[in-house]
This record gives sequence, C-alpha cells and structure tokens, in this order.
Amino acid sequence: MKTKMRIAANVLEILLGAGLLIGNYLGHVNEYWSGLGTALIVVGGIFLWKQFRYRTDKAYKEAIDTQNNDERNRYISLKAWSWAGYLHLMIAAVAAIILMVADRGDLVPFASGSVCLMVFLYWVSYLILRRKY
Amino acid sequence: MKNKIEQIRKERGIRQEEFAKLLGVSRQTISSLETGRYNPSIFLAHKIAKFFDMTIEEVFLFDEETNLEG
Repeated sequence: MKTKMRIAANVLEILLGAGLLIGNYLGHVNEYWSGLGTALIVVGGIFLWKQFRYRTDKAYKEAIDTQNNDERNRYISLKAWSWAGYLHLMIAAVAAIILMVADRGDLVPFASGSVCLMVFLYWVSYLILRRKY
Repeated sequence: MKNKIEQIRKERGIRQEEFAKLLGVSRQTISSLETGRYNPSIFLAHKIAKFFDMTIEEVFLFDEETNLEG
C-alpha cells in the first residue's frame, strides 16, 4: 500500500512536471516554472525507477530493507539531524553577532529570529517527546 | 561497553557478511559493534545473544564506569 502510494505520488510529480513544460511551450508560464517542471520530471523519474527496481530486483530490495531497518543507520540519521540543528543554531548565533558588528542591523532579525525559532522548536519537541516517553 | 562478538563469531567460523545478513543489519553495524564504536539496543543485543545461544551478560560486558561517563 505504501509502495503504491509512493508510485502514485511519483507519477503525479512527472505529470505535473510535464504539465508545466507544456504550459511553458504554449506560453502560459515562464522559464521558472518550466525549470521546476524539468526538476519534477527528473526527481519523479529517479524515484519511480527506484520503486520499480525495489519491486523487481530481489537483491536491491534486500539491501534497501537492511538499510532502512538497520538500527545503527537510524541512530546515525537521528544523530546527524541533531548535529545539523545544533550547527544551524551556532551558525545563526555567530552570524547575528557578526552582522551586528558589521552594522547590518537590517539582517540581524533574520539570524536572531532563526535562533529563537530553533530554540522554540526544540522546547516544543522536548515537551511533546517528554509526554511520549 | 565491551563485547565478545568478534571472538565468538570467529570461533564459530561465521563471516561478518553472513552474520549481518542473519541478524538483518548491515556489515558496517557488525564491524562497529565489534570495535565497540556502537552500542546495540536491547533488542539487537538480545538477538545476538540468542543467535549465539548465550545470555546477554555472556556476550556483552557491562562496564558501569563507562556508562556513568556517558
């Protein structure tokens, strides 16, 4: 069921991409949308091919299943997200200070706002997870 | 946490690839477990011990000091 839903989503992506390309060809949309259409076709095509391979190639299916169910892989993935969030926070905080020193006060709210949003999201996630576990 | 996975696996003549396949994990996971870089979940530890027909304590050597250090 999950695989069928994914295949349907990929086909929809390709159709949407094709629609945008045709729209550009007929002069209804500009190059931005045709570029997006090309990207949708490429991404949808790659994922569709992967889904097809998953259903037909037994060795590939086994490798993907192992990769998805491997607990170390899941642990590393969670750790990587945690690092990414922490690094984003640090970079945004340093950027806010640098922008302040560089007299670019107009950009400081974006950097400091990003820090506040991250801290807020962390606390919301923490409160939700604390109830769950 | 130290473990005897590599020792027991070699004693029984099982290759890392085979062992990984039997447990449904990647070969890299087995390698990381054996070198002590990764500590398994209780489920995987149980699966490994069961596979070797041993208890968890016989395969994994719990070190309280390491646990306290985090």
